[in-house]
Amino acid sequence: MNSVPDEDVMLQVRNGEVQMLGVLFDRYQAPLFNFYSKMTKDRTVSEDLVQEVFLRILRYRQTFRPGTQFRTWMYQIARNTRLDQVRKVRPETPFVAEPIAPISLSDSAQRQQESMLLQHALMQLPEDKREILVLSRFQELKYEDIARLLGCEVGAVKVRVHRALQQLREIYLGLESAGRSQDPRRSPGDSVPPSRRVQ
Amino acid sequence: MNCQQIAELLPDYLQGTLAREQSTQIEQHAEHCASCAQDIVMWKKLEVLTDEQPSSDSRARFEAMMHAYSSPATTETKLESAPAPATVKPSWNFLEWLRSPLGAVAWSAALVIFGVVLGTRVGNHTTTDRSDEIASMHAEVASMRQLVALSMLQQTSASERLQGVSWSNREDHLDTQVQSALLHTLRYDGSVDVRLAALDALSRHAGQPQIRKGVVDALQEQQSPLVQVALIDQLTEWRDPDATQRLRQFEQTPNLNPAVKQRAEWAIAKLQETTQ
Repeated sequence: MNSVPDEDVMLQVRNGEVQMLGVLFDRYQAPLFNFYSKMTKDRTVSEDLVQEVFLRILRYRQTFRPGTQFRTWMYQIARNTRLDQVRKVRPETPFVAEPIAPISLSDSAQRQQESMLLQHALMQLPEDKREILVLSRFQELKYEDIARLLGCEVGAVKVRVHRALQQLREIYLGLESAGRSQDPRRSPGDSVPPSRRVQ
Repeated sequence: MNCQQIAELLPDYLQGTLAREQSTQIEQHAEHCASCAQDIVMWKKLEVLTDEQPSSDSRARFEAMMHAYSSPATTETKLESAPAPATVKPSWNFLEWLRSPLGAVAWSAALVIFGVVLGTRVGNHTTTDRSDEIASMHAEVASMRQLVALSMLQQTSASERLQGVSWSNREDHLDTQVQSALLHTLRYDGSVDVRLAALDALSRHAGQPQIRKGVVDALQEQQSPLVQVALIDQLTEWRDPDATQRLRQFEQTPNLNPAVKQRAEWAIAKLQETTQ
């Protein structure tokens, strides 16, 4: 079953075999959940959004066209679902730092600290920048896919990713130095360039 | 290369899609350019934000959504799927009446009065009386649940029929009317989900021979491979003495789905294994 391409499964769903949606759910509930949890920092909201995405896929299955990449189409729905949720939930709710994702015991204290700082920094990025960064860094979407998703040129996507990364870096360094001035024992962050290519 | 040229290549470098030669150029540049180096470090640092797992009931919620969605009343699936086998609908006028708004009001009122009367009586009696009262109250509630289950199994909406099946699960003992309604549902219900749920509900009552017989009989008439496989699995689990023979018959059905056929063969082998 795993070898069947997403698109073929989705076409089956479109043609009335709706129970086949379970296959796509198993493949994508975790990536979608992580997309949302990085966007919202809220597990419950993220899980609700994932359910909503699959409900919409079911409801709008007739709009899936052969030749469309399923993942891009799904993320399109996922973005819209998120936008609707944002509109529904708040005019403008400021981000409140709250219980952050469960951290496993094996994580070192430094890693935990870093992870917390990064989550805070990410949440302080404007929504669109956070989104493009999450999509390109964590969702395994190529710039071409993101361009299709956002309806813009690939070049523009790359520029925006770079800008978002730069802004994140500024926020992160700001948070880090603020943290260090509070706690002088903390070791300085990793600022040495990697010797090898990333990923 | 200067920073601007690097910036154009950097996003591809970050995603690891850049040719080796250009990657080396970027790395060389980063060794003496703190700003570009920090971008790379930042990207790499993001890896501490590891993936989380959605909670375990997420799949169950999805299933529930699918059940609700396959309800014929709420979807256009009727247009696409093959026509469902016609269900025979007995005319239980009393149940029809219970479902009407007037019936619902009367029923609620009766329940309230029943509760108040019972409450005052239980309150006034001695302990032994009280346990009798409670026992009779349990019996009342049980029969009421069965009534609700029966009534809901007759609904046109699949999700309500599903609820009917789940109402029947609230009782340890099924009365014969509910039993036969569930068996009927297992055979003839238009929705695969409801048939599967009915099988699930019946599977709890393996001790009753008529239920086992009903489930064995249902196999021959099923059209959906999903339900067929579920039935085969159930029979294998029960190790029903009749099952092997019935499965052999079933296997001969023309145009049987290959996966189902395979499952039936597996089941026969398994059953023989245990009888030897």
